[in-house]
Amino acid sequence: MWRLKTVPHKARLQGSGLEEFKLKRREQERALRQARRDRQLVSKRVLLHEDEDDAFEGEGTMDTCITPTSDQVVKLLHGLQAGGEKRTTLCRELRRALRDLKVQLIFIRLENSMRVVVSLLSGSDAQCRVEAGKCLHTLSHSPHPEVGMTCLLASPYLLTYLSGQSAKFTELCLYTLGNLCPENELVREKLLAQGIIPALHHCLQNHGGNLAVLEAVAFALSQLLQARDAEQKIIPLVLTSGLTSHLMAGLNSDPEYGIGASIECAWCLHYLSCSETDSSVLVNHGALSRCSSLMVTLGGAVAHGESQDGLELLIWPLLRCLGNLLARCDTCEEVGACVNDCRLLAALGVFAQSYLHTHPALGREALWVLNNLTADSVVWCSAVLGSGLVPVLIQLMPFSQGINSMVLRTLGNVAYKGTAFCLQLVEAGVLPALCATLKMADAEVVTLSLEVLHLLVASSPQVAEGFVQLKGVSVLEMMLFNSEEALRLRASYIIDHLPQPGVDGC
Amino acid sequence: MSVIMLGLHPNLIQLLESDPEKTHIDAVPVLQRDTEPKHLTTKEVRCSDLVTDSKSLFTFRAQKIRLSKDHEHFEDGDVHRHMYLQDLATSVAEDAQPAKVGEFRCHISGCSQLFDCLEAYEHHYSALHRHVCSTCRRSLPSARLLDIHILEWHDSLFQIMAQKQTMYQCLVEGCDLKFSSRMQRKDHLIKTHSYPADFRFDKTKKNKRVKEKAAARQTNTGMEVCEEEGDEPASAGGTQSEMGVSAETCESMDCSQNPGSGSEGGRTGPEEALTTTCQKPRYAYRVPHSICFGQGAVRGFRGGRRKK
Repeated sequence: MWRLKTVPHKARLQGSGLEEFKLKRREQERALRQARRDRQLVSKRVLLHEDEDDAFEGEGTMDTCITPTSDQVVKLLHGLQAGGEKRTTLCRELRRALRDLKVQLIFIRLENSMRVVVSLLSGSDAQCRVEAGKCLHTLSHSPHPEVGMTCLLASPYLLTYLSGQSAKFTELCLYTLGNLCPENELVREKLLAQGIIPALHHCLQNHGGNLAVLEAVAFALSQLLQARDAEQKIIPLVLTSGLTSHLMAGLNSDPEYGIGASIECAWCLHYLSCSETDSSVLVNHGALSRCSSLMVTLGGAVAHGESQDGLELLIWPLLRCLGNLLARCDTCEEVGACVNDCRLLAALGVFAQSYLHTHPALGREALWVLNNLTADSVVWCSAVLGSGLVPVLIQLMPFSQGINSMVLRTLGNVAYKGTAFCLQLVEAGVLPALCATLKMADAEVVTLSLEVLHLLVASSPQVAEGFVQLKGVSVLEMMLFNSEEALRLRASYIIDHLPQPGVDGC
Repeated sequence: MSVIMLGLHPNLIQLLESDPEKTHIDAVPVLQRDTEPKHLTTKEVRCSDLVTDSKSLFTFRAQKIRLSKDHEHFEDGDVHRHMYLQDLATSVAEDAQPAKVGEFRCHISGCSQLFDCLEAYEHHYSALHRHVCSTCRRSLPSARLLDIHILEWHDSLFQIMAQKQTMYQCLVEGCDLKFSSRMQRKDHLIKTHSYPADFRFDKTKKNKRVKEKAAARQTNTGMEVCEEEGDEPASAGGTQSEMGVSAETCESMDCSQNPGSGSEGGRTGPEEALTTTCQKPRYAYRVPHSICFGQGAVRGFRGGRRKK
């Protein structure tokens, strides 16, 4: 089910086709952003059927892709109701017809139509079951809420089949269920009542080791976990269900299968680690240590240019998981037991630098993890200094969109620990870099720069002297003319406390 | 070498390739933490009229940050994931939205120009704001203020005359009032021109160095900068294409036609200085809008550079 490789064939379009495709894609991206801002970011997946490798919706130029009329749909339904040997063929025809959104609406509004499908799904004919399942899957993908709701009729059967023998059929049912989850709260309530969480768990136990099934389960689970009502209703169930250990195990990727399953598991873990509920379950299952060692491995892969396309889809949720779990661990000992490899620092630096030109937000999140590592920990601050990470951070300081703010926070965390730390920061060349960030447009960046500068020069006369010699005072003097009082006050305080090398009387 | 190709800092590669035994956190030499933070004093310091302590002024604390799943910082990653789910993901090249280098902004209130790079910023500052007093090496942001500074601080005749006449000029361009003492001028600036209460005026030329802060309420900020003890370069570099610059800066300022409506800045941030529309005048005496600088600087500063 790992998709990324298959999609590029769409981009085989040449010339204007490619431009159109890009434009369309940009529009869709914009729509997704808006959806997220409206808290309506929802997606459904389509499982490709082997016999339809050119079946991308909207592109079909197959002869059979003539939209059936309303009458033809009714005829299909009657044919199915009649039973007999032609059922499987008819079902296949129905499935093709249902690719058209209008036909979907027509079909579900016909009397008894869904009952017929469900009876085929639960019937004794195996082939028919599969075809009926495919019909449902197509319907589950519909953007019409009405259509999704009618599929709910089939859910008890879909859930039962999760424990079935056929991995492929199970996969199909899982994606269907996964597509239904985001419909609305009622659907989710029903599915929860029907036992979807234990069913998912049993499914994994049954099909252990099958990565396609794992990917499908984790996808369905991620759809549940992403929901607005997940916090109260779903997450507590998941944490006690035993699914967590499977998710952890699923983080390892298989070179043959690819990272599809790992991606889904990681996103589930991200949603779980964001929740307010007690994080100890996750930590006890090794989430922190797992995530951090994976980060090191992935960091190495990226650093050596061995990373595959789409690796960021895995790195992203892992970073978030790490960042939030670090933030929620109260004691240093807890952290220290699980996160103890300094190479994690290198990995974070690698992500921040490597993704600057493609996904700067990912770089910012890597730096966020660094902030959380260093905030309360003298040990990790010492590690940052000792590992040569500071020059890397300095290289990142020109970049906006939150990157420089996060770098400054991290440097602030280190400086905050005391004189010894400040001295080493200064040795690594932080002062000239601060003189530059003090001149930036972003008020938050300037404020943080002043804060870090204050920490440094207050720590020892050497540092203060060094700053004066760098002509830093003139930079601060400009601040005195800033219209923001908060900036002026900080700047003037710092200036007041700097040494005065031989004043010639005033 | 892959390092060079990827543009990664060599320290990172070195660390990644280190022996795992050596990179264990327990092997890190831990530095000594200060028993008492030196930067946080609750000892109160008098910064002119404002009593403050560094603890309340500097608010940064090292802290962990938690982000909820709907946080805006997670937007890009979520969108990327959903593009993938919806089969919209393609190879990286099409997806790229590179990081941007932060812009630089002139901090002088009322100027607030933006620059793409540090050089442009430095050039601008040298050309427009670095008026340096050759005697005490202070840097004033405008020629007019430099004039006033030289007069009041380095002219012995001034001191004599000031005893008999009103010699202390109002710092606001276009306001021709004069006062017989610094205190009176200060009061005037506060009452009439709404200078902020924290504006620090001259201190006597004693041992303590004093900083006077900008009154940033008006565009024509009058100010003095206290001593710069460092080696300030005597002359400002850079040429100034005065007409060109003025056109530029005039445009960026809200040179509206309503007298007295030119007030910008104030408590608004620098970002708003450029785009803010006419605000209610904050002071009784209106600055005639016609005082816009034929040459060079920003509104409120007399144009033309003082030669050294």
